[in-house]
Amino acid sequence: MDKDKRKLNLSKIIFKPIRNEKWQPITIPVVSIVISFIAAAIVILLIGKNPLQAFYNLLQGAGIMPKPAYAGYKSMLTDFLSLLNAMTPLVFASLAVAVALKAGLFNIGVSGQMLVSGFIATIIVGYSGLDAIIAKPLVLVVGFITGGLVGGLVGWLKYRFNINEVVSTIMLNYTAQYIISFFIQMYYIDPLSRQSKYVSEEARLTLVNVEMANLKMDIPLGFILAIVVAILLKFLLDRTVVGYEIKAVGANRKAAKFAGINVGKNMVLAMVISGGLAGLAGVTYYLGYYASIQPKVLSSMGFDSIAVSLLGNIHPIGIIFSSFLVSIIDQGSTYMSSQAGIRQEIASVIIGLILLFSACGAYLKHKASQLKEKNVDRKERRS
Amino acid sequence: MSDYIVEMKHITKRFPGIVANDDVSIGIKKGEIFALLGENGAGKSTLMSILSGMYEPDEGEVYIRGEKVQISSPNHAAKLNIGMVHQHFKLVPDYTITENIILGIEPMKRFAGIFPYVDIQSANRKIEELSKSFGLEVDPKKRITDLTVSMQQRVEILKVLYREAEILIFDEPTAVLTPQEIEFLLDIIEGLRQGGKTIILITHKLDEIKKVADRCAVLNKGKLIDVLDVKETSTNYMAQLMVGREVSFESAKTPAQMKDEVLKVENLTVKNEDGFEVVKDVSFSIRGGEIFAIAGVADNGQVEIADAIAGLTKVSSGKILLNEQDITDERIRKRTEAGISYIPEDRQSVGLILDFDVATNLALKQYYKEPFSRNGILNKEEFDQFGNRLIEKYDIRSGQGIQTQVRSMSGGNQQKAIIAREIELQSPLMIFVQPTRGVDIGAIENIHKMMIQERDKGKAILLVSLELDEIMDVADTIGVIYNGRLQKVASSESLTKNEVGEYMMGAKHG
Ligand SMILES: Nc1ncnc2c1ncn2[C@@H]1O[C@H](COP(=O)(O)OP(=O)(O)OP(=O)(O)O)[C@@H](O)[C@H]1O
Ligand SMILES: [Mg+2]
Repeated sequence: MDKDKRKLNLSKIIFKPIRNEKWQPITIPVVSIVISFIAAAIVILLIGKNPLQAFYNLLQGAGIMPKPAYAGYKSMLTDFLSLLNAMTPLVFASLAVAVALKAGLFNIGVSGQMLVSGFIATIIVGYSGLDAIIAKPLVLVVGFITGGLVGGLVGWLKYRFNINEVVSTIMLNYTAQYIISFFIQMYYIDPLSRQSKYVSEEARLTLVNVEMANLKMDIPLGFILAIVVAILLKFLLDRTVVGYEIKAVGANRKAAKFAGINVGKNMVLAMVISGGLAGLAGVTYYLGYYASIQPKVLSSMGFDSIAVSLLGNIHPIGIIFSSFLVSIIDQGSTYMSSQAGIRQEIASVIIGLILLFSACGAYLKHKASQLKEKNVDRKERRS
Repeated sequence: MSDYIVEMKHITKRFPGIVANDDVSIGIKKGEIFALLGENGAGKSTLMSILSGMYEPDEGEVYIRGEKVQISSPNHAAKLNIGMVHQHFKLVPDYTITENIILGIEPMKRFAGIFPYVDIQSANRKIEELSKSFGLEVDPKKRITDLTVSMQQRVEILKVLYREAEILIFDEPTAVLTPQEIEFLLDIIEGLRQGGKTIILITHKLDEIKKVADRCAVLNKGKLIDVLDVKETSTNYMAQLMVGREVSFESAKTPAQMKDEVLKVENLTVKNEDGFEVVKDVSFSIRGGEIFAIAGVADNGQVEIADAIAGLTKVSSGKILLNEQDITDERIRKRTEAGISYIPEDRQSVGLILDFDVATNLALKQYYKEPFSRNGILNKEEFDQFGNRLIEKYDIRSGQGIQTQVRSMSGGNQQKAIIAREIELQSPLMIFVQPTRGVDIGAIENIHKMMIQERDKGKAILLVSLELDEIMDVADTIGVIYNGRLQKVASSESLTKNEVGEYMMGAKHG
């Protein structure tokens, strides 16, 4: 009886704040995050460390809180810029997942689309020796178009032959990974690093080691673009005919068809946009955050972005916040492990937990509506 | 202890912006058939959802067999022997009948005493027995996707009986059935009562209440108006009580003023997915100012004719001309613009996007045009104004006006929203398939009035209905379909209801 009561109180604390349906788009992710941090704290306690200390280190490492000391040319600002640099491709990748989901499609091939776009932009622009003023915009354009074509192919296969997009994107992931790896190893390999040769500074979307105020900073140019694109995407989905049609197709394909909407065209279009965004993620990753491609490796970002997108409620602005959070943990983890003596893997565990709980949003919603029933059950047993 | 098996006292249930049930108290006796009557959105489904554990009341108490209970879930309701057959079925399409019925209470067995598995065999057997004993024959191994609507309903009923329900709630069970199926269902319900069950029946059809019910509660805007003894009350009085005004059952219709031909269908043949001809060599035409009704028993090809004209189904041969323009192979959007409004049979999966709000759904056929959008940018204000105007004009009731999610609206109001949207298109050809399904008698009267109004404005109207009374009432011309062929086309004055019935059964030709 007593235990039962305690359990109930706990669930009350968790579910009460998410009862109001109007606020659920915000409260559910927040509660998911809080729960995952509690779970992470328990993990850290279990290995005998102080979770608060660890979380503080995390923030320090990510450039949100000041560290006690910095190496030469470094400061909190440089750390923070690194954070934004890492976050940029994640925002694009998560937006890519979101657009497809709005159309009722599951693009789990973001990683592959990133790789193809990154590779094509690398060989066309990265090694070209073009001036920065031409090279940088060109990288973005090539990235978007390449990704868009791959995405469009997936959409077309679905529309024309009814091939499930989950299957085709996974297969394209493998195809891209091995074919590109072959070309890199044959033609573009740097014998020392065993990666593709570095792209030119002119083509790179992150300005590295910019000296200013006695600091050496990495300035991610793509970050501004990511924010702008998120806002544009929000506008596209909510305020335009194209967005209306994509959402209608995603919400009820039959009714969309009945309304005269060209379902096939819109599925292809949504996948073109999704692939294009994945392309931007690819170029800001392989020609921004990094400057080369590691053969035979598919970035895990394309998969993390599915959960980041869900955590951000498939909402462009929400995705900016969820990407920010996940990037903090990712970036801060190195410092945390060195300072608090917690293995870096624990940071991965925390990210895993957040992503896990974010995917449980629907479950939380369900639980919230059930809570009332539990209350009733209890009252009944008492009487 | 009272003599009521179910007692609901002072039940109040609020949704955002609306009081769905307002201090409602009813008592239901064991072994009776108790009917619930009320306008669309009056709160009938909500009240019964409370009894079946889907919702909890904000205020009030429920007593079952004299004991106070708080029904927290459908499972809890099942434990109290309460079961509900919902207005919109809740079945898993890819599962078999048995799998659907046992879902959640699967009979388990252990293989070699260790590995648990679901004992489908015994469940199949039990369901077969059950279906025989109540006259609800089904083949338990069939999948839901392969079943007709009335068969799906049988599954819902069996699901409830399988859970040993003593109190059965039917939410508008006859709205989706053909007249023949309705007869059959009412017999089943009568049989259940004779087997000792207590029945609660929600319906908009007064003759059904008159036929089977013992007592009838009338709800209006969430409030209980009265509980009537059916034997001693006329249907007219019931209608009046429910709508709050006199309802005329016959439309005052002037003779048609027919103009030029709007629709011409020539030798139309349509095949279904299995390549089977469901519409065979059908030809007819409709003129402006004419209501042309296709009468027929369900599934004789009438819906396919409507779908083919609107472009939802492929034509395998024949021609469709709209205002002398060949539209046989045009895309749906083109046809809409050429002048077709269409109220489809299936409002929930075809007519509406349930997760969108009312304003968005009302603009579903016009969002891409001015003034709803300009240069690809939507004008939200226009959506809102248009939505508000239609809500007002067509009396669409919901909790939060244009912002209401359509999913949360009552069934009849969903239907009204579709009708509003399609009539507003002001197309030269308007196709109405089962337009009055699930709407209350006051609203039926309005819909018929509107159809006649549009006709008098010179529109050509194609009505597909299973209700012969409706057809006899509003049609100018009647085409009777049987087995995919038009058996007879004649003016409605020249045909009696009986004759139409005979053509419908294929008993008469020519
Ligand atoms: N889940 C919900 N959320 C918000 N509002 C709701 C919900 N369910 C019902 N309502 C509102 O409560 C009112 C009563 O709905 P209810 O479904 O009980 O009507 P009804 O009498 O069954 O009507 P109908 O004859 O059209 O089926 C309606 O105005 C409806 O919009
Ligand atoms: Mg209802």
